[in-house]
Amino acid sequence: MTPEWKNPLANWGVEGAIETLPAKVWTSPQGIWDKVRESRIPLHKVGRLRYYYKWPGHGSRQWSRLRYWPTRRRVLDIRGQFNDKSKRREKTIADKRPIWWVLGLIAILLAPMLFPISVQSTLLTAGATFLIYSSINLCWMLIIGTAGIYSLASYAVVGASAFGTAYLSIQYGLPWYVLPFLGGVIGLVFGMVIALPATRLDGFYYALLTIGINELCRVYALQSKQFGSATGGLYGADSYLPAGLSPTSQSTFAYYCCFALMLGALFLYRFVDGRRLGRILRMAPEKREAFAEATGVNYRRARIQVFIISSIALGFIGGFYASHYRGVSFSIFGFDTVLLGLAMLVIGGIGTAEGAVVGTLIVIFLDKVLISAGPIRLIIIGAIMLGVVLFLRGGLFGIKAQFQVWRAKKKSERRSTRAEKGGEMLPEEATETHDKDLIYWRRYDKMQRDFLKTLVCDEIIAEHKRSPLGQHSEPLERLLLYFRRAPLVDKYAIITVEPFKAYRIVALSGHRGVAPRLVEDKIYTSQEDAYHGVFLRRVQDLLEA
Amino acid sequence: MDFGFIVTNAIVLACIYGGLAIGISITWSSLGLINLSYGFVFALSGYGAWLAAQYVSTNGAVVLLAGILTGALGGVLVCALAFIPIHDKPNFTVRGLIATLAINLIGTQGLMWWFGPRSKNLPEIFGTGKLHLGNIVLTADKVGNVVLSVAMLLLVLKWMRSSRRGLEIRAMMMNPHAAAIVGIGVRRTGFYVLAITGGLAGLASVLLSQTYYISPFGGLTPMIKGVAIALCGGLGSVLGAVIAAIVLGFNEALTSVLLGGQYVLITQFILIIIVLLIRPRGIAGILDKAREA
Repeated sequence: MTPEWKNPLANWGVEGAIETLPAKVWTSPQGIWDKVRESRIPLHKVGRLRYYYKWPGHGSRQWSRLRYWPTRRRVLDIRGQFNDKSKRREKTIADKRPIWWVLGLIAILLAPMLFPISVQSTLLTAGATFLIYSSINLCWMLIIGTAGIYSLASYAVVGASAFGTAYLSIQYGLPWYVLPFLGGVIGLVFGMVIALPATRLDGFYYALLTIGINELCRVYALQSKQFGSATGGLYGADSYLPAGLSPTSQSTFAYYCCFALMLGALFLYRFVDGRRLGRILRMAPEKREAFAEATGVNYRRARIQVFIISSIALGFIGGFYASHYRGVSFSIFGFDTVLLGLAMLVIGGIGTAEGAVVGTLIVIFLDKVLISAGPIRLIIIGAIMLGVVLFLRGGLFGIKAQFQVWRAKKKSERRSTRAEKGGEMLPEEATETHDKDLIYWRRYDKMQRDFLKTLVCDEIIAEHKRSPLGQHSEPLERLLLYFRRAPLVDKYAIITVEPFKAYRIVALSGHRGVAPRLVEDKIYTSQEDAYHGVFLRRVQDLLEA
Repeated sequence: MDFGFIVTNAIVLACIYGGLAIGISITWSSLGLINLSYGFVFALSGYGAWLAAQYVSTNGAVVLLAGILTGALGGVLVCALAFIPIHDKPNFTVRGLIATLAINLIGTQGLMWWFGPRSKNLPEIFGTGKLHLGNIVLTADKVGNVVLSVAMLLLVLKWMRSSRRGLEIRAMMMNPHAAAIVGIGVRRTGFYVLAITGGLAGLASVLLSQTYYISPFGGLTPMIKGVAIALCGGLGSVLGAVIAAIVLGFNEALTSVLLGGQYVLITQFILIIIVLLIRPRGIAGILDKAREA
C-alpha cells in the first residue's frame, strides 16, 4: 500500500481541498543527525595513546623520596596522581632511561663471565677497546652535542696526549698512575690552542680546520724521529697491568679498568650536560644564539668552558690509552679513525649519551670482532652511516620521536581527507570567528538541508503547483517553512508589473535603500504562477547547495 | 738547496691544489654542501685514468680525458647520493657533511677492496723533455701541469661567465632561494656543479699522479690541502682561492728552505689560523656576502 497524505481540511468542505495525496515514506530527521554524529574513524586499542604502566601508590611512602647527592634530583622521574575513576593514587614512571642504563651497565659488568672460551681473548680486547672509545666519544659528544662546536680534532687531542705521555714515560720512566693526569695537562694546553679559532669561526669552517689539524698531527708524528717514525708508533710506556697475572686475567683486569674509565666519562657527561653548563647551552641552540645573548646568556663562554673541560678529559683518556696499550700508534691520527668515530656518534644520534655508547658498540663490533671480513666491514659501517644520515634525523635513538612525528602527520593527512566541507566551518576558520554560535548554527543548517533534500520529489512539486498557498502536506510544509525563514539577503520575491496580469521574480538586496535586482526576464501571468516560480528556484538552489 | 727548484715546485702544487680548492669553494657556495668525498672522487678518477692507460691507450690525451670523465661521473654519484635526497631536509649542512664523509669511507674502502692496497702509476703524459731558463731546469711535466691546470681553470671560469648553465650556477652562488624562485632547478644545477668540480678533481688527480702514485687513500692529502686553501681564501670566492693557493704555495716553499720539510704543515696551519682569526670568512670572503649555513 502506497503511503498517502490525508488533508485535514477536506472534511470541512474547504474550497479546492483534495482529500488524499500520494506521499513518500516518512523518514525521521533524526536519521541525518545520527549519521553525521557517528564516528567513522577505525579505532584500535593499542597505539593511539602512549601507554604507561600505572604503579600503585603507597600512601605513607608518598613523601619519602630517594634523592642523590649533590643535587636534589630523584633517581627516577616518577609522577604521582589521583585517578578519579578508580579512586586510587597511582604512580607513573615518566622517564625509563635510568632503568635501561642500569641494566646496560650491569650487562657490561657481567659480560666477561658470559664470553665463550674460544673467542674470549678477542672479545675481551674488543670490549676494552669499546669501553675506551665510548669514553672518548662521550667527551666528544659533549663538544659536538652539548657545546655545538663541530670539532673533528678530538682524536687528535687524545693522540697528542697519548704520544706526549708515552714519550715522557719512556724517556723519564714515569709510572703509570702519573700518565692520565699528565695527559690531562697536555689535553688542557692542546685544547686551549685549538679552542682559540673556535671563538671566531662558524661551525663548518671550524670543522674543516680541525680536519686539517688532525692531518697536521699525523704528518708531524709520522715524520719526527722521537715519536718513532721507524716503528709505526711509540711503544714501551709503563702499563698499569700487574705483571704477575696470567694473560686472561690481565685482559679481564684491563676490561674492568676501562669500564671504570667509561663510568667516569658518563659521570662527566652527566655533570656537564645535565647541570648549569648544559642548561645554558640548551638555551642557545644553533641559529638562536642572538636570542640567548639578548636574554643575558653568555653562551660563547659556556661553549669554550665545555670545550676545555672535554679536552682535559680527552687528555686524561689519552694518558690512560698510552698506559693501556703500552704506547700508541699513528693510526689514532688517521682520517679513518676520525671517520669511524664520527660514524659512532652519528649512528647513535648526536646529542645523547646513550647514542654515543650504543653507536660505539655497533661500530666496534663490526670493526674489531668481524675483523676477518676485510674491507667489506668498513664498507658496511659506511653504508649504515649513510643510511642513518639520509633517513634518520637523530640517529637510532631519534627513531621513536621521528616515528611519532611521522604518524601524527599521517593521521592529520587522513583526517583532512575525511573532513566534509559542505557548509561547515573548517577548523582554522572556526578559530577565527568571533561568534562561536555561528559554527553550531552552520552545522545544524547543513544537517537540516541534507534532510530537506530527501523530501524533494515530483509529487511535492505537483502539489505546490496546484495550490501554492493554503494547507500543505507535511513535507512540503517543512520545505516552505525553511524557505520562508531564509535571511533577507538575496531572498526571492515577486513584484507586480501590471496588477493581475504580469508578475516578475526579483531578489531582495537585504539593505535599506538598495533596490531589489531582477533575476530573470520571464513574465508570469498570475500570482500563483509567480509563487510557484519562486518555489522552483528555491528548490533548485537547495539541491545545488 | 736549490731555491728555483722549490719555487717552481710550489707553483706547480699551487696550481693543482688551487683547482681542487676552487671545486670545493664552488660546491659550497652554490649548493651549501661541503664535499668531503673529494678525496674519493680524486682517487676514483686516478683509477679511471689508470684503467684507460691499461686497456685503451697510453696516449696522454686519452688518459687525461678518462681521468676527467671518471671524476665527473664520481661527482654525479656524490650528487645523487648525498645532495638529491637531503638537500631540502632540516639540518642539511651537517647531514650533507656527514653523508659525504660516509661516501668517502665507502668509496675508498671499495677501491681498496677492488684494486688492492698496492699503488699504481700512470704513464708520463707530457713526455720527458726539459726546458732551461737560466739556472732553473723545468721538466716537461711541470710545465704541462701548470699550463694544463691554468688552461682548464680559465676554461671553466669562461664557461661559467658566458654560458647559460654557468649563469645558473652563478645565480645559485649569489642567492639560492632567489635562484629557485626564478626557475633555476636546484637539483639539475647540483648535478652540473658536482660534475664540473668532479672533473676538476679528475684533472688534478691525473696531473698529481705525474709526481705521486695512485692509491685508494691518496686523495686525502690533496683534499685536505684543497680544503685548507678554500678556507683560507674564503669559501665561495674563486679569486680568494687563487690568492690563497699562491700564498700557501710560497709559504710551503719558504718553510722547506728555511726550516725543513716537516714544518710545512705546521706553518701552513698557523698561517691559516692567523688569517681566519683576522678575517673569519677567509681572505676574500666578506662577512655579509658569505652563504648562511
